[in-house]
Amino acid sequence: MASEMAELEALLMERSLTDEELLRATDAAPDYRILPDATVIKIGGQSVIDRGRAAVYPLVDEILAARQDHQLLIGTGAGTRARHLYSIAADLGLPTGVLTELGGAVAGQNAAMLGHLMAKHGISMVEGAGLSAVPLYLSEVRAVIFGGMPPYQMWMRVPAEGLIPPYRTDAGCYLLAETFGCKAMIFVKDEDGLFTANPKTHPDAEFIPRVTVDEMKAMDLHDAVIEWPVLDLLKAARHVRSVQVINGLKPGNLTRALAGEHVGTIISAD
Amino acid sequence: MTETAATAKHVPSSLARMTLLDKELVRPVTDRPPIRLLPWLNVVKIGGRSIMDRGREAILPLVDELRRALPEHRMLILTGAGIRARHIYSVGLDLGLPTGALAGLAAKEAGQNGHMLAALLANEGVSYIEHPTIANQLAIHLAASRAVVGSAFPPYHHHEFPPAVGRIPPHRADTGAFLIADEIGACRLTLVEDVDGLYTADPNNAAGAAPEFIPEISASDLAARGQATLPFDRTLLEVMAAAKHLDQIQIVNGLVPGNVLRALRGEHVGTILHSA
Repeated sequence: MASEMAELEALLMERSLTDEELLRATDAAPDYRILPDATVIKIGGQSVIDRGRAAVYPLVDEILAARQDHQLLIGTGAGTRARHLYSIAADLGLPTGVLTELGGAVAGQNAAMLGHLMAKHGISMVEGAGLSAVPLYLSEVRAVIFGGMPPYQMWMRVPAEGLIPPYRTDAGCYLLAETFGCKAMIFVKDEDGLFTANPKTHPDAEFIPRVTVDEMKAMDLHDAVIEWPVLDLLKAARHVRSVQVINGLKPGNLTRALAGEHVGTIISAD
Repeated sequence: MTETAATAKHVPSSLARMTLLDKELVRPVTDRPPIRLLPWLNVVKIGGRSIMDRGREAILPLVDELRRALPEHRMLILTGAGIRARHIYSVGLDLGLPTGALAGLAAKEAGQNGHMLAALLANEGVSYIEHPTIANQLAIHLAASRAVVGSAFPPYHHHEFPPAVGRIPPHRADTGAFLIADEIGACRLTLVEDVDGLYTADPNNAAGAAPEFIPEISASDLAARGQATLPFDRTLLEVMAAAKHLDQIQIVNGLVPGNVLRALRGEHVGTILHSA
């Protein structure tokens, strides 16, 4: 390992960062998980928070109970207000980067609402979920809340078609889980997981309990339960190589998923 | 399916209730081309390793050239990272840190280069500004001054993508400069490096046959060539393929006096890389 690292250092000083040999050498470097005991859960915006008390209160209770056994990074989705903003902003021809900030603010509002509900239990909302005091919150109160939108602002990758930011709160939450080397990534939505079509518009769609990225791509689903670009991120990931999508409207599902049970759809890199 | 909880409280809009994942449904609402927010803006990216790391000898003539460009052009000058970023990649990888940690660390180096460059142009009213200011207040800053300086790295930090191979953050200075220039609708992006442009092989590290200069090429043709190395981030080719405004960029040699001014005036002095 010592000689490999010396070789990597030499490559990094001399070669182009586009050099294949250099990139392969960085691949061989050791891995360190930054927050290996934490789980990232993403609470859907349209699917959960927009439903109000009926959906949110039971989930808050479940989260409060679960934190006895788990460290939780709780990210929020945006939802219907973001769709309203996107429809107006896209019609004005505003660029994707502007839509990104607008959508990010909505995810932030949802995080703030969850923050108010959990404040009396000592759980804080943080602006941006970079490290900063997050490890302290996790070790002291075992949970922290953040808006799930990634911080790309005007540097958001633009979609091939249209103006809607392609990397939204699913990607934002997932990338934190991957970067911090977390134990698991759970998407809490309002469907049991992935179906062969959107079950809201296709009631006859069939449930898919487990799928790989390649299988999911081969199915060429137009309307999947998770942001499509997350599949490529998952495929390239080093730490979090599978995610679970669960129905958070069913009591007990989140608790079971946190315990490692298979209660929704597991999407894996391979 | 979801009788267990009340239905969602929707705000009526043409995208309401959608997952935003079905292209067929989303397209009619969002197929309008975006407007250019700052159509007069010139974005100039100054290489970290290629220019800034060379120190006084390379930087001072370039600063003088940028100073002379001020009356003609309103500029967002972005700086790359250089050898110090290589060093922190090396130390960080030895410690086992992930790509998402290395990204923020390397971005700091690009920022330090920007601080130095801005200090040299301060008496012309040029300041270094941070990402949120570039994103939200570039217009007012460029109303007060002809140019500002920022870090060319995009603010991906902990949200950097895991690369397909290895651990080097894929969205670096060239990609960041393109993303902001394209989204804001700038008129031009110039990458200032220490080579005349693009070659068939790395001219600073050539083995075998003499590399040939490529005066003009498209991003897709270049990607298809599969060159062993490129003088810019590989991700740049990917983001160029999706460009909304910028149909070309130019890579110029900033060590040759006059090149940057000529490129800013639209002259072909390096390699022109077409987006499509």
